[in-house]
Amino acid sequence: MNAPALTVDGFVKTFGGVHAVEDVSFTVADGSVAALIGPNGAGKTTLFNLITNFYPADAGQARFYGASLAGLAPEKIARLGLQRTFQTARVFPGMTTLDNVLAGAHRRVRSHGVRQMLWLPGARQEERELAAEAQALLDLVGLSAFSAAAATSLPMGAQKLVEVCRALMARPRMLLLDEPAAGLTDAETAEFASLLRAIRDNGITILVVEHNMSLVMDVADDVIVLDLGRLIARGAPAEVQRDARVVEAYLGAQME
Amino acid sequence: MDQAVQIIIGGIVQGCVFALIALGLSLIYRVTGIINLAQGAFCIFGALLGYTFQVTFNWPMPLAILAAVAGTTVFGLVIARTTFVPGLAYLPNSSMLMLTAGLLTFIEGLTLVLWGSQPYATPTFSGERPLDIFGVLVPTQGLWIAGISAIVILATWFVMGRTALGKALAACAENPMAAQIMGIDVPRMTLMSYGISAMIAALGGIAVAPLMSFQFDTGSFFTNAGFIAVVVGGTSSFIGPVAGGLFLGVTEQLAAGYVSSLFADGVALGLLIITLLWRPQGLFAPRRARRHDVREDVRVHRAIVDFRGHGPALAGIALVIALAAIPWVINDGGLMSSLVITLILFISVLGLDVLMGYAGQVSLGQAAFMAIGGYTSAILATTYGVPPLAATSAGIALSLACALVLSLVTMRLRGAYLALATLAFGLLVDSLTVGLTDLTGGPSGLVGIPSFAIGPLVLASPTAMYFFTLALIVVIVLVLLGGMRSSFGRALQAIRTDQTAAAALGINVPAHKMAAFAIAAVLGSLSGSLYAFDFHFLSPEMVATPRSFELIAMLILGGDGTLIGGLIGAALITLLPTLFQPLALYKTLAEGAILVIVFRYLPEGLLGRGAWLVSRLAGALMETFAPTAAADKLP
Ligand SMILES: Nc1ncnc2c1ncn2[C@@H]1O[C@H](COP(=O)(O)OP(=O)(O)OP(=O)(O)O)[C@@H](O)[C@H]1O
Ligand SMILES: [Mg+2]
Repeated sequence: MNAPALTVDGFVKTFGGVHAVEDVSFTVADGSVAALIGPNGAGKTTLFNLITNFYPADAGQARFYGASLAGLAPEKIARLGLQRTFQTARVFPGMTTLDNVLAGAHRRVRSHGVRQMLWLPGARQEERELAAEAQALLDLVGLSAFSAAAATSLPMGAQKLVEVCRALMARPRMLLLDEPAAGLTDAETAEFASLLRAIRDNGITILVVEHNMSLVMDVADDVIVLDLGRLIARGAPAEVQRDARVVEAYLGAQME
Repeated sequence: MDQAVQIIIGGIVQGCVFALIALGLSLIYRVTGIINLAQGAFCIFGALLGYTFQVTFNWPMPLAILAAVAGTTVFGLVIARTTFVPGLAYLPNSSMLMLTAGLLTFIEGLTLVLWGSQPYATPTFSGERPLDIFGVLVPTQGLWIAGISAIVILATWFVMGRTALGKALAACAENPMAAQIMGIDVPRMTLMSYGISAMIAALGGIAVAPLMSFQFDTGSFFTNAGFIAVVVGGTSSFIGPVAGGLFLGVTEQLAAGYVSSLFADGVALGLLIITLLWRPQGLFAPRRARRHDVREDVRVHRAIVDFRGHGPALAGIALVIALAAIPWVINDGGLMSSLVITLILFISVLGLDVLMGYAGQVSLGQAAFMAIGGYTSAILATTYGVPPLAATSAGIALSLACALVLSLVTMRLRGAYLALATLAFGLLVDSLTVGLTDLTGGPSGLVGIPSFAIGPLVLASPTAMYFFTLALIVVIVLVLLGGMRSSFGRALQAIRTDQTAAAALGINVPAHKMAAFAIAAVLGSLSGSLYAFDFHFLSPEMVATPRSFELIAMLILGGDGTLIGGLIGAALITLLPTLFQPLALYKTLAEGAILVIVFRYLPEGLLGRGAWLVSRLAGALMETFAPTAAADKLP
């Protein structure tokens, strides 16, 4: 067994008086799909923001393939190959769907600024290859017909898929997906499950926040459950589903 | 000792007026989060209206003053109702700031049309004889100013603190979203605050008019002073802007009295820049977190103008050929010169487009780089006989250095704060070009600048300059096009709308912003140098802050984020007044109106709108002849 892709070590974050994340530690094995679940406000998004250093942690740190991410700027973390998506789709307005996906390739582009400005053949060639690759990715999620449309004109579910494509364009080692399937129909969710498996089979580790339990049961190798900022359970999907504390957390959340 | 007291009293009198403008600015800022750059223009409008009523119509003074204040208030309400308030509903803060820059230009232009460009001096309220208070001479008008200011400040304090209206305004300032939910009519409150601000500005303008000479563009001076006072004083408390105004007035008078009047401007701008960088919440404000700006979330949506494929490429080639043919068709020297200036200004607009249109970083200081480039190269070429090409390069190097420093120190500022910092930078350069008389020739300008030359080839005629500039533009546009169409340009566009998501993709946001700043500075500087060599003359107002606003007008009129669109804007704004001489009077008015209208109704600009129409038309034709099912396939 290799080193874990991601190690979360004792993260703590409070906002004012709210304990958003309280002493959470877990690991995500290399090449696996892990699901992060929990009722609304459990601290899942905050945990993502801590891992990628969008918020400074009060305590704790994350390690990516053994290397500490503490104190690294978000863009540095992205360039290490740890890509994230956002809970509310953040496609770039004013750019086409294709350009949005291409923007994800930023960390891979070899020919920079000046060479592109001089229209050097190598730079143009690279552009064409990236565009073809982006088009293929859009094809994979069934959005290739909209590559020239404004990304913001797509429905929410499609925008989230564009965001996933954009993250994939970076050829990451690991993806953090925040509710990527929100807004998809059941049929589309099933397709999305196979996309997730395909991504994993390509060697990309995934940590996904998801509310749709059938999707979680379907693809996750490992489930991590948060409630009120605390890690209350982790294990294989079937195990976690039977865990009394998990059931209580979810039922409790529903009763309120 | 007496002299010091005299100076301080003068400073307090001036500070009172600054405080009034600052009060109006902060009132609007607290309700909307926008610095209303048009504020100073209402001062002038009110004062000149008062002059007309009192001197031209011969009305009794109290009636004239009342009518002028009422007229200005109504005017302010109309402006707010038609532009400012509706704009708030969908424009991001930085666009709102530029909308108010447009309003400033518009009102100045209107003033120019109504009252002409000559200075006015209004009679004092109570005679010219100064009052002798314990041996200190105080002009009675000074007492009037202090009295009126005190009344206005107390009245504002009373309204804000003790009345239902004040409570409602405070609620809007605290959290517009919550205020709306609580049933407060936020747009109405915004309108009210704008009207009150215009009223306060008019009172200040009318009171100070007898001590100054007023003309149509004095408004910018008042806006600048009020703006500096607000920044220095901070907006979080009622007393901040008032203290800031008085502090600024006294500091300026002391600097002017003991050093020189040039130094007064420098002190004011120094205060401004230090405060913006060191204590953005203001010197007199308690150090506490700024309220989260709810409006910051307004996202910039823009129609996409895509110029890929053979059609646009062919259109581009045709455009270049047509432009190259112009000198053979036109043999009007004046028109030719205007065309050259159009092209030269377009170079500056190109730089601005990379910075604003692509990277989304608002700059109100583009003309400052024209000034740096223009003056550096002109001085080197005229005084030291440096060849124009080398002199231009030196200007570019200096501009680049300034841009890097500016972008380093402003790196943490975003949106409106960045725009204000660039405005401060522009004003600083303005005051240097006027003030460093030995170097720049001061207000009367620098004469005897040689023609541009490349080695032995001297470009003496407008036609030669035209071809050279056109060739230069073709190269620049191609280079920028290459950059904007690849990962560099995509990164800039990503930063424009969402810096967080951009960083999440591994885009180095500060480095890209800096690169965009550098490109804007280089092109601005180049344009300024060519301008000086072409005109054989350079004066401060050719490259001052109003020029920055004009460049923005050109950019957004043509369409930002399109590179080529700026050419349409530059051509319209430069050529129309030349072609129709009687229109020259209306130039400022039109520029202001363009800024306002384009921001309000046509965010994609003329080129963008045109391209959109063409593509819609093409799409409709395609649809008719080859119906596709693309529309049904939306997931
Ligand atoms: N920037 C912030 N400032 C203040 N409080 C915050 C902030 N971000 C999150 N919180 C609080 O932290 C807690 C956890 O929020 P978080 O968004 O991480 O939950 P979540 O598990 O992602 O929920 P959801 O399923 O609704 O997305 C919530 O109580 C939330 O109100
Ligand atoms: Mg969340």
